[in-house]
Amino acid sequence: MKRREYILHLIGEVAHYILESDPMRMVISLHQEEDGLHLAIIDSVVRSEEQLAKMRSELNTARRPELAGYYGSMAGSDMLGAARLDIIGWQVKHGDVTATSSGTKIDLWLGGDRFDPERFSIPGESGG
Amino acid sequence: MDGSHERALYFYVTIVIGLIVAGGLFLDGAAAVGGFVELQLRPARLLNDFFSDTGVGAALINAALVGAVGLVLVAITQVRLSGPTIAAVFTMIGFGLFGKTPFNAIPIIAGVALAARIAGKTFSAYILIALFGTALGPLVSTLAVEIVPGTMGIFAGIIGGLLVGILLPPAAMAMLRLHQGFSLYNIGLTSGFLGLFAAAFLRALTTEMPAPPFSWATEVPIPVVLAVPVLALSLIVLAFVLGGGSATREFLRIQELPGRLPSDFLDMVGPAGGLMNMGVMAILLWTLVWILGAPFNGPVLGGILTVVGFSAFGNHPRNSWSVMAGVLLGTLLFRVAPSSPGPVLAILFVTTLAPLAGEFGAPIGLVAGFIHLAIVLQTGSWHAGINLYNNGFAGGLTATLIVAVIEWYQSNRETLFRKDTE
Repeated sequence: MKRREYILHLIGEVAHYILESDPMRMVISLHQEEDGLHLAIIDSVVRSEEQLAKMRSELNTARRPELAGYYGSMAGSDMLGAARLDIIGWQVKHGDVTATSSGTKIDLWLGGDRFDPERFSIPGESGG
Repeated sequence: MDGSHERALYFYVTIVIGLIVAGGLFLDGAAAVGGFVELQLRPARLLNDFFSDTGVGAALINAALVGAVGLVLVAITQVRLSGPTIAAVFTMIGFGLFGKTPFNAIPIIAGVALAARIAGKTFSAYILIALFGTALGPLVSTLAVEIVPGTMGIFAGIIGGLLVGILLPPAAMAMLRLHQGFSLYNIGLTSGFLGLFAAAFLRALTTEMPAPPFSWATEVPIPVVLAVPVLALSLIVLAFVLGGGSATREFLRIQELPGRLPSDFLDMVGPAGGLMNMGVMAILLWTLVWILGAPFNGPVLGGILTVVGFSAFGNHPRNSWSVMAGVLLGTLLFRVAPSSPGPVLAILFVTTLAPLAGEFGAPIGLVAGFIHLAIVLQTGSWHAGINLYNNGFAGGLTATLIVAVIEWYQSNRETLFRKDTE
């Protein structure tokens, strides 16, 4: 899958998930490097700690190559049923979910086997 | 699901496969082994009940070895033995009773492995496509024993299997987007689609394409009839061993899920609930077939085993009953006996459409089941019986139609902006 298509699928699925909560604001930020990328999605929906924990759990599922390689292609292309974060979780290196002062922020880290999110640099952010 | 649960599942599935082999040897002795060898080079197109072709014992050994191929591949590729892989292995065992053989399955698996290499992926990424893709095994057998004469036939069959295996991954992913995961047997739709092309080429290459063979055993030994209740009981006991009191709670939580692909119940809820769901579905299906008065022959047992496998990966009583009721209603309207081969298999395999009922409710499930019966009675001839998942093909077409209509209706009825609702 081309890099652009891959990113579009993931953005589509995560945007579908966010829009199900009917937010007044959604911001998608993408930062790319040679061996990986960081996708941040910020919305205006305040979620409970239980909801945030569920989102974290779905985004950080165990490695499932058999599901990622086949059903992962559904990400961002099915708009009829509920959006599913686990489909994204199988395909990303790591996912963070944090509460902001006015909503929720989802950070997705994508990259190859040698990609280390800890060493990823985002201008203006520390440790990102 | 932790490692100890997965080891328990490996142990359980290995025991099941071993018992099927033992059952085959117990029933027919050495003749079962000879029959198994003979099965490898027999026509395999729908509808070919191996129970009546070479005897129950040979069919059981064949089914067990087809399932063993799947289980060994899951182990070698180190993917998790969980909902989707259990569904795949059970489906392979089930269809080993009426179409799949190690000979016609392995070239297709090898073709999918070649596709993975072409795409720069690991085989583990395509393992599910490879295992389910053995639905096209009859293409290998047809080329080997029906179309091309002599030893060249075997060579032609293997080449045909490799080629169709290479085509499976791209076609499977495209088909998945058509029904958006609302038909569980996506490879059924994929194999039916590829089967249309394969059948067209076969018809073009031969002056007269042989008619698909038909066999349907009506006499089945009592131990084979009782195999499903025993399987159901063992699944429920294992569920309680692994989960104790939480097994029932997990089972009830599964009933709340729509079941749309990919829904790994063992991972989403828990292995105990998933296994209990499999056991409950097994006993319900067995009872239904018994009430209908259909024989527990190869295709019927294959259907039950497939749905039991998919009860770890999408099916549960709550999302399945309405689609099955839709087929039963259809048999009344179309005046076909529900215990006859096509309808009874449709009643079992229509559960491919269970996610539609799970997501949109029982009325949609009833409609889906009804449409499914009408179309599945026709689709077999389209691909000349080459696609063993004929119900998966018809179910995929039905789901695509229903999904298109619901999507069109919802997208036109929903308001675009908040103010529009005021």
